[in-house]
Amino acid sequence: MNDADLAQIAELAVAVGANVQPGQIVGVTAELGHEDIARAIAAAAYDRGAKFVDVWYVDPLVKRARIEFAPDDTLDYVPPWYGRRFIELGEQRGANIAIRGLTVPNALEGLDPKRAGRDQLPRVKETNVIVNERTVNWTIVAYPTLPWARVVHPELDDDAALAKLREEVRHVSRLDEPDPLEAWEARIVQLERAAEALNEARLDALHFEGEGTDLTIGLLPSSIWRMARWSTIDGLRHLPNVPTEEVFTSPDPDRVDGHVRSTKPLVLTDGTMVRGLNVRFEGGRAVDITADEGGEILAGRTRIDEGACRLGEVALVDRESRIGQLGTVFYETLLDENAASHIALGSGFAFAVETDEDRARVNQSAVHIDFMIGSNDVDVTGLTSDGERVPLLRDGVWQLSAVHAA
Amino acid sequence: MTSPTLAERLADLAVGIGANVQPGQIVTVSADIGLEEIVRELAARAYREGAKFVDVTYFDPGVKRARIEHAAEDTLDFVPSWYAGRVFELGRSHSARVVVAAPSNPRALQGLDPARLGRDQLPAIAEWMDVLSERTVNWTIIPFPTLPWARLVHPELDDAAALEKLTQEIVHVCRLDEPDPDAAWRARVSELSAVGSRLNGLALDSLHYEGPGTDLTVGLLPSSSWVGALSSTIDGLEHLPNIPTEEVFSTPDPQRAEGRVRSTKPLVLVDGSIVRGLEVRFEGGRAVEIDAEEGAEIMRARTARDEGASRLGEVALVDRESRIGQLGTVFYETLLDENATSHIALGSAYEEAVDESDLPRINRSGTHIDFMVGGDDVDVTGITRDGQRIPVLRGGAWQI
Repeated sequence: MNDADLAQIAELAVAVGANVQPGQIVGVTAELGHEDIARAIAAAAYDRGAKFVDVWYVDPLVKRARIEFAPDDTLDYVPPWYGRRFIELGEQRGANIAIRGLTVPNALEGLDPKRAGRDQLPRVKETNVIVNERTVNWTIVAYPTLPWARVVHPELDDDAALAKLREEVRHVSRLDEPDPLEAWEARIVQLERAAEALNEARLDALHFEGEGTDLTIGLLPSSIWRMARWSTIDGLRHLPNVPTEEVFTSPDPDRVDGHVRSTKPLVLTDGTMVRGLNVRFEGGRAVDITADEGGEILAGRTRIDEGACRLGEVALVDRESRIGQLGTVFYETLLDENAASHIALGSGFAFAVETDEDRARVNQSAVHIDFMIGSNDVDVTGLTSDGERVPLLRDGVWQLSAVHAA
Repeated sequence: MTSPTLAERLADLAVGIGANVQPGQIVTVSADIGLEEIVRELAARAYREGAKFVDVTYFDPGVKRARIEHAAEDTLDFVPSWYAGRVFELGRSHSARVVVAAPSNPRALQGLDPARLGRDQLPAIAEWMDVLSERTVNWTIIPFPTLPWARLVHPELDDAAALEKLTQEIVHVCRLDEPDPDAAWRARVSELSAVGSRLNGLALDSLHYEGPGTDLTVGLLPSSSWVGALSSTIDGLEHLPNIPTEEVFSTPDPQRAEGRVRSTKPLVLVDGSIVRGLEVRFEGGRAVEIDAEEGAEIMRARTARDEGASRLGEVALVDRESRIGQLGTVFYETLLDENATSHIALGSAYEEAVDESDLPRINRSGTHIDFMVGGDDVDVTGITRDGQRIPVLRGGAWQI
């Protein structure tokens, strides 16, 4: 990737995503293989006046050595300074940028999945603290790598696969617009309007209808629709995901009924592909899970804990999503979940409800499995508590007039 | 059956006789980007030894370059609070430490403003000096050959030949070409300990260096003792801080260095910048004049960082039996070059080379910069308290 392309992604991360401020410390989470973009992000952050850029390079093969050789009773140990780094970053009101882009395919292949499951690194639990306390302006951005390109475009040779993935990531990141910042601002305003209109509609439930799908998802009394621009307690606005195309909330985990067919393949965290998924819900629980491929493994995941077979998220994505338009499966949730409307089995978001009573009801689980259920052929209708039906998406287009207001 | 790779053999040496990693220890590993092969072997070897966690920090000179080029001037010496916190925590938990010394790209910082570069000490973290002085950590530094390093050391050769030659040299100086490298190191270490004992028996008050461009007297403290390369922690864990090691060293009196000294080899600072033809004049223990053919400015900036950075913290003697000295290769890497010949260091001192009575007097600094002052044509003479002159090194050979 040439310097100009690197600088563009770096600028997207620093300016649009994290919104780095002069004087801030900027944490960067990168893998070996991300050096070029990490350096470009450092330069861009310093240009905006960052006080320090602290790049943490993660090596998937050092993790492999741990899973392979470390004593069994040490695998969930994390030294205290891993958490302190994030806690202090929050106390000092820093920014954080995480880079996504596969560097080592199947890094843990052939190892005992039980041992692998006990080492959560590079995930550090203290990141939840700074996310919930909203002390850090943070983002996750995509960086196309050759190992990733090979997975997405196995039919192409290396050069062509990488060139194609770069072009796609550039497009979905709106870097092919004359002014990407302005393009994101316009898109975010649309998504904000959609979230506001949904909140004003005071919906009690959502109804998804399409081929193989007839599903009603109840919402909690104080469920609120969020979009992907957040702000810190200091009022700094940031985009946790770039790209982002969704508005989302946490549903009532006890009120989901009907059946749903996935509209795209999904990839589990261990790389398992699930295609042609059909799920039937009763009283909020997924009671029947079948798929053309990977159904058994997914069903196994939903038995991990009580919340794993209930919904934690419902997200709406309209046909303007550039990811959905491409039709590419990226095998990377950051991109794939922004392709179409989706729901997630497992943990919900406490910040997507307003009352303490509802916060206690939001679904809890150790897993969060997003899968795509939307398309231009799936109608989404809102139901109010007095039984009124409000069209939300038809042919993939927002039906709420406020979304399209000038 | 395949023979073990160099990375495996060096990792064995580092985790074994080097750091002497114990079951249940946290092992922190520091290396530049580009050294993944040896880092992963170190992790595997340490975990097989029963390590509780291997904490790898990769340093990227390319990110440092971005900082020097783009960051605001007044931020360049800033280090986030968690860097020191991590180091203190590693000390408190009596961890092990392995540093891989090999520049991934020695030229990564070429062409940058030396004054700006001098303000950013990373990857050195000043708090390591404190923690290592407390002797809570068993540690070692090892080399590992890389192509960018090989190009620097052997610019006259093509890539493959340069890497092959550097690899052979590292195998040789690390004594991996001996049938039993562990035994070879134990033998060399006991030789060095014997030299240290004989020097201690002389009860020297100062050392006098004489050679081309050099006429320097370095005072010692009343309790200064000579230490061979084997160190031990307060828990009694023996470890070899450097592999390879060829020196005996002591802690000098930071108030008593007089005269001038010319470096006999180039030195490479921790960030990769190179200082050639260094000349330093000392008065009352302070480096009052610093000149060099290359890198003088960054050297001056480094020695201005704190009060102790312009005074001596180490004096080390190396004889001509050193395998590194014999090769004659300049490695542009202090770990190897400082074991080629006698050297002194500006900055922090080692507490283990003095008694408690002299602890308040030893030099303190956030930096430690070794530079080579020895050679076959530099005579080293010991001066006793009553003024007697005792030849120590002549033509590079021990006289004691």
